[in-house]
Amino acid sequence: MSTAHSNAAKEFLKNQTYAKWHDATFWAVRTKRDNMAYGLDEWEQLREKASAIKRHTITHLDEYLDQFATKAEENGCVVHWAKDAHEFNEIVYGILKNHNVKKLVKSKSMLTEECEMNPYLEQHGIEVVETDLGERIIQLKGQAPSHIVMPAIHLNHNDVGELFEEKLGSEKGNHDPTYLTYVARLSLRNEFLTADAGMTGANFGIAETGDIVVCTNEGNADMSTSCPKLHIAAIGLEKIIPNYDCLAVFQRMLCRAGTGQPTTTFTSHFRKARPTANPMHIVLVDNGRSEWIGTPDHWEVLKCIRCGSCMNTCPVYRRSGGYSYSYFIPGPIGINLGMLRNPQKHSGNVSACTLCNSCQSVCPVKVNLGDQIYRWRQQLDKFGTANPQKKMMCKGMSIVYGNENVYNLVTALAHWANLIPSPLINNGLNPWADGHKMMKFPKETFHSLWKKGKVK
Amino acid sequence: MSNKDDILKRYRANVKEKFFDEQSGKTGYDMPDLSDIKATTYSNPLVQFMKMTEMVGGQVLEVDPGRDINALIRELFPDAKEIASNLPEIKIATRNPDTVDCASDLNGTDVGIIRGEFGVAENACVWIPQTMKEKAVCFISENLVILLPKSQIINNMHEAYKRIDFDEEYDGYGVFISGPSKTADIAQVLVMGAQAARSATILLMPE
Amino acid sequence: MKIGLFIPCYVDVVYPEVGIATYKLLKHLGMDVDYPQNQTCCGQPMANAGFEEQAIPLAEKFEEKFFGERSGIANHKDFDYVVSPSVSCTAFIRLNYPHLLKGKTECEAAKKTMDVVEFLHDVLKVKHPLGTFPHKVSLHNSCHGVRELGLSSPSEENIHKFNKIKNLLNLVEGIQILEPERSDECCGFGGMFSVEETAISEQMGIDKVQRHMKTGARIVTGPDCSCLMHMAGIAKKRGLNVEFKHVVEILAAGL
Repeated sequence: MSTAHSNAAKEFLKNQTYAKWHDATFWAVRTKRDNMAYGLDEWEQLREKASAIKRHTITHLDEYLDQFATKAEENGCVVHWAKDAHEFNEIVYGILKNHNVKKLVKSKSMLTEECEMNPYLEQHGIEVVETDLGERIIQLKGQAPSHIVMPAIHLNHNDVGELFEEKLGSEKGNHDPTYLTYVARLSLRNEFLTADAGMTGANFGIAETGDIVVCTNEGNADMSTSCPKLHIAAIGLEKIIPNYDCLAVFQRMLCRAGTGQPTTTFTSHFRKARPTANPMHIVLVDNGRSEWIGTPDHWEVLKCIRCGSCMNTCPVYRRSGGYSYSYFIPGPIGINLGMLRNPQKHSGNVSACTLCNSCQSVCPVKVNLGDQIYRWRQQLDKFGTANPQKKMMCKGMSIVYGNENVYNLVTALAHWANLIPSPLINNGLNPWADGHKMMKFPKETFHSLWKKGKVK
Repeated sequence: MSNKDDILKRYRANVKEKFFDEQSGKTGYDMPDLSDIKATTYSNPLVQFMKMTEMVGGQVLEVDPGRDINALIRELFPDAKEIASNLPEIKIATRNPDTVDCASDLNGTDVGIIRGEFGVAENACVWIPQTMKEKAVCFISENLVILLPKSQIINNMHEAYKRIDFDEEYDGYGVFISGPSKTADIAQVLVMGAQAARSATILLMPE
Repeated sequence: MKIGLFIPCYVDVVYPEVGIATYKLLKHLGMDVDYPQNQTCCGQPMANAGFEEQAIPLAEKFEEKFFGERSGIANHKDFDYVVSPSVSCTAFIRLNYPHLLKGKTECEAAKKTMDVVEFLHDVLKVKHPLGTFPHKVSLHNSCHGVRELGLSSPSEENIHKFNKIKNLLNLVEGIQILEPERSDECCGFGGMFSVEETAISEQMGIDKVQRHMKTGARIVTGPDCSCLMHMAGIAKKRGLNVEFKHVVEILAAGL
């Protein structure tokens, strides 16, 4: 009995050295995050407030979106609304074409990944250059991100060194991360200076002021928008929050939760274009969000601020890596977002959870991630993606447990299982026996001992 | 119907259907009270700010009254050739972000000197509203020097967001900067100087 | 106080000694304990696997067995509490029975079912010395105990640190309680998870057992037999010299 995720995870674990490194690396990030959380007496209060702000905002988002768009337009920005990924790509391409853009530099955006914007623009002749170092690495490598905050975490310095030798002409054999970062800096500097447009995502949009707020450590969002004459910001509907007081709560939590830093290096507020540039364009993207808010069990995913802490803490993510999930966002939040996007395609991720609930204890905005995975499991049968063997097993269990006579008969015989020779148990048909020695069943059950008056 | 109307209408309808409460006649959740957040404060915010600046990889210096700021910066960056600033008290600048033709002319700046309005003790953020034509100077310079009034250190981001304001002339942009540009994207090794300034020096100015 | 003893299916069949220790302990503390016969399973395995509807008849049966008019053993709603030596079964009953039974019957089980650790700690508030157990033990904080029943403060949260299991074990003479690194990281059992995601489940189990052993203890104790069963199977397969005991076995030792 296996799933798409469990098969991929098995492969991942074959390289034990790397798997151990991956687990330890993300646990270290979790530990850094803990130090930050323990360092603020008000941490749990902030989580409570953050969750409440988000609940309020996403259940009044139509008003806040309207306020945001009105304000942004007053500021001189051009606001676009995209109902889905395709429309988003068309809008962005339209803007670029109007401005005769040949090269676009961009900072990290999970939204543009979601909409698969880069391939679309490239097909239309636009050169797209990712400028977050991790994103740039995987772009040069032709890969997708394996984590939303640390997209190239699956590659080590030798992988990157060899890639840069080939693509950026770095010194042969010099795989020192400091050197490699410098090589990327020089190469990207040239891209910033020669690009015709810059694109950013948005961590937050502020309804009261119309600001787009972007948090980065590298300064690449600012570099992307400081030289080119055109700035396009892509923002998912749910990223809008009411005002600066709310922003203060999220700004304090985002980076502490995500990377264990007290803040990102840059928290940039874009309100309108630079004096010498063209008007700033903001593209608000729905792509399913206006439907998700109406789902009975999954609307709370719209609270997510994409800090990545649920991945870092997830014992399954840490031991299986980002690529073991079929959706481009892995881990607990990715399981849930993937199912909202396309349950038929992403049901294979739903097994990747022990229901340990560490994700919802760590989440800075209290998204009930584990509870939602439990709810998705209940629906697999409806989607036609439930494992038939598992279904049979559960039906079987229900029959045994549902009738005490059958249960008593079966359990009375259980200890005979001790006599089954182990080759018959370790035959590959019993998945439990692959990793476990079978338990020894005692001669009598508690129930039988009780009946005989032996429980004293 | 426009896309905007279409999206908002669908969103509103779905919220209404799920969250409308007949008893109260309300739809959705209320905004929480944020005034009761017991945010961390410091007995000496300045000391905390200096500590955090170093923790995030920045340098911080208290400038004595009467100290020649231009000489100090020269001392700190003896090899600097191109210095960019539009601050009136900076006399050693070779470039001015207000008068360059375009932002890319600022490339190759060894030291960029800008002014910060206030610093935040909890995380070493310095609020920098855009006060120059080309904000590129804040990022494109190899080394960034921020002049910050020593008296303007506040506790935390709640206080910060109560007081940030944009410049009257350049009212389109402002940024919190905390230390130099950094990345750990290659094998989780922390490297200073990803795409923006490789060093950040905060000069705490006397009144 | 009148206590109904719930001995979950796999404890009944695989670990009857845990049931016996629970009974012994409750009797020792002066409880009037009864065991309604012919109980089976709470329904958690099917529900966690995605087949909640298969768990509904079991929830109905459970409610009837302990609180129904025809339970035969107790008068209707006679038990003050139902106590069970299993955190995950208890958590399942408490968190999921109300919606499983919705519209059918008012759910008493969810209100009155307690894990034995929380019952001893929170209801009986046991403070006097219990048995004797002169050994080093490594404490296994089961996820559903930590994050659903609140037996200890979750390591993710910045709240006052507490551990109810530790508090109780501290009443045992001669014991030395240790905790592994990553004190409440999951052991990888997860019911159907261990069958569907064998590779990860096994890896998590190995990691957990190794961290327990790194404390120097050779006995691991916890409030849930399913975690212990998983780790024991992993350890045995690899010939590791470590024993697994439910908390009640230690609390009842020497009584």
